[in-house]
Amino acid sequence: MSRVAADNILLDKDSKNGKSKLNLFFRRLRRERELWLISIPMIVWVAIFAYYPMYGVFMSFVDYIPGKEIFSSQWVGFKWFMEFFTSPDFGIIMRNTLVISGLNLLIGFPAPILLAILFNEIRNKYFKKTIQSISYLPYFISWVVAASLLYSFLGNDGILNDMLMRLGVLNKSVSFLGESKYFWTIITAANIWKNIGWSTIIYLSAIAGIDEELYQAGAVDGLGRFGAVWHITLPGIRPTIILLWILAVGGLLNAGFEQQLLIGNVQTREVWDVIDTYAYRFGVQMGRYSYGTAVGLMKSVIGLGLVLLTNKVSKKAMGLSII
Amino acid sequence: MNRTYYKNGIGGNIFDAANTLFMILFAFLMVYPFINLLAVSLNDGIDAAKGGIYFWPRKFSLESYSYMLQNKNLLKGAVISVLRVVAGTVTCLLGTGLLSYVVSVRNFSGRRFMRVIFIITMYFSGGLIPTYLLILKLHLINSFNVYWIPHILNAYYMLIIASYVQDIPEALSESASMDGAGDLRIFFQIIAPISLPVFACIAIYVGVSQWNSWFDVQLYNSNRKWDNLQIMLNRLLNEVQGEQELRDAQLQYQKFRNMSTVTLRAATTILVTMPIVFIYPFFQKYFIGGITIGAVKG
Repeated sequence: MSRVAADNILLDKDSKNGKSKLNLFFRRLRRERELWLISIPMIVWVAIFAYYPMYGVFMSFVDYIPGKEIFSSQWVGFKWFMEFFTSPDFGIIMRNTLVISGLNLLIGFPAPILLAILFNEIRNKYFKKTIQSISYLPYFISWVVAASLLYSFLGNDGILNDMLMRLGVLNKSVSFLGESKYFWTIITAANIWKNIGWSTIIYLSAIAGIDEELYQAGAVDGLGRFGAVWHITLPGIRPTIILLWILAVGGLLNAGFEQQLLIGNVQTREVWDVIDTYAYRFGVQMGRYSYGTAVGLMKSVIGLGLVLLTNKVSKKAMGLSII
Repeated sequence: MNRTYYKNGIGGNIFDAANTLFMILFAFLMVYPFINLLAVSLNDGIDAAKGGIYFWPRKFSLESYSYMLQNKNLLKGAVISVLRVVAGTVTCLLGTGLLSYVVSVRNFSGRRFMRVIFIITMYFSGGLIPTYLLILKLHLINSFNVYWIPHILNAYYMLIIASYVQDIPEALSESASMDGAGDLRIFFQIIAPISLPVFACIAIYVGVSQWNSWFDVQLYNSNRKWDNLQIMLNRLLNEVQGEQELRDAQLQYQKFRNMSTVTLRAATTILVTMPIVFIYPFFQKYFIGGITIGAVKG
């Protein structure tokens, strides 16, 4: 007899005896005692490490002084938000964020789709598996290592300079990482290098889910191999593409953080400083907690709005949504 | 795709050849940076600084590696890196594993509540600064504990493990419970052993992310007592600090006078990357399962 069945029989007895619901509650609590004992520390943990920082967001509306309670600090309303909007940094920060993240969307989003389709067209199973495994590797190394690889590739004595000088394109070495004009290209390439292989996994599993019969039917109807890709494979992964697109657009203001801090330097800050790094610089390094939190909060709110908006558009246009 | 249905014409053959060529080039781009750095790290320092090393060391030398083996600081960093992987992975698997069990027990009245309070954390968070202030407040700063305590429970991993645990026939835990086994025992003796593949997958995610972490070291443990390998490599990237490091090394050990920041950095990068590359062939069969489960259910 299962625990619930036992309880139900007892419940029947209880109601006949006219005993209260409270009694049942206590019985239930006793039965679930161990589960609650496990749960309670978890509830405490999540309250401290997840919900308490959420409450900390209210810092954006007060003039927070460390050590004092948030609500006993002076209420300033939208002062910090206004300060950010009107600061001379605002334009630069927004431009960097939108350009870096826009490049990631524009090139970094379609690249793995194309790669997944090309993977899928490889005929030799072992060759395919090997290439796939290799392509996931960069995803597992840290940004510090990636930055170190970039330094040795792009530095003054790096191989790119060496190659270009041997080919006669350059006559003296260029500091690729020290000049602002190369930064967006470098960070986009680095982002793609690191993530492209890994991002194909989800598309490949979507391709694997396409009904085999569709391909058979396509062959009968005279679709060629390329026709099958265009008319069967691509439409088959369309829902996945749209879903990931909505999520990607929602993350438009997440332009990266570690890579900026690691690849960027003081000379190139005007092109890499994005909302997150700005909030970190002001909020943590300069100790302007309220201001930094306000900048971060503004980002989250816009991000949520973007998800809702793309979701609505895709629902209207294609009948697909995630919410 | 099962291509037996499709005839491969001339166009198809040309495409196949081009695709194979492209894939080889692509794979080369993925691994070449590592090969290059390996070659640089095995080269004589002063010679390497002239540049132009592509695939093979020009003037072979193991100096950087022998320096690393003697550098106590670096070895301590390696120990801390390993410790944080072990502590972080064990506690996260225990904590999040138990959490996944709790939210999968079908007649537990708190199941929905537990699930919801964790799922909310996937969409909303306090962000960097409130979290930073919390860590300050809890006195987790300048301590090893900051590496694992904030990562014990993870909602995303919870969903992945729970989706696996839910598929285990209820009769198994039911019969154990009739025999008088408590929930902890059911979890450790029945659920966890059956769910080993999904635990392996999560262990890899957590272990790799612990190994790769550097920002929390910079943010919370600035007193250098708990430096891991990543943050040490990060310092070498900085030109001024790299030079400083090198001068210290050369003052201490006369024989390393031929070392340069280029080779020191390359060797450290290889050291930091090696564990990942070595265990990679073993773990890669696990992680794909995890990400696809996550994609379907998440």
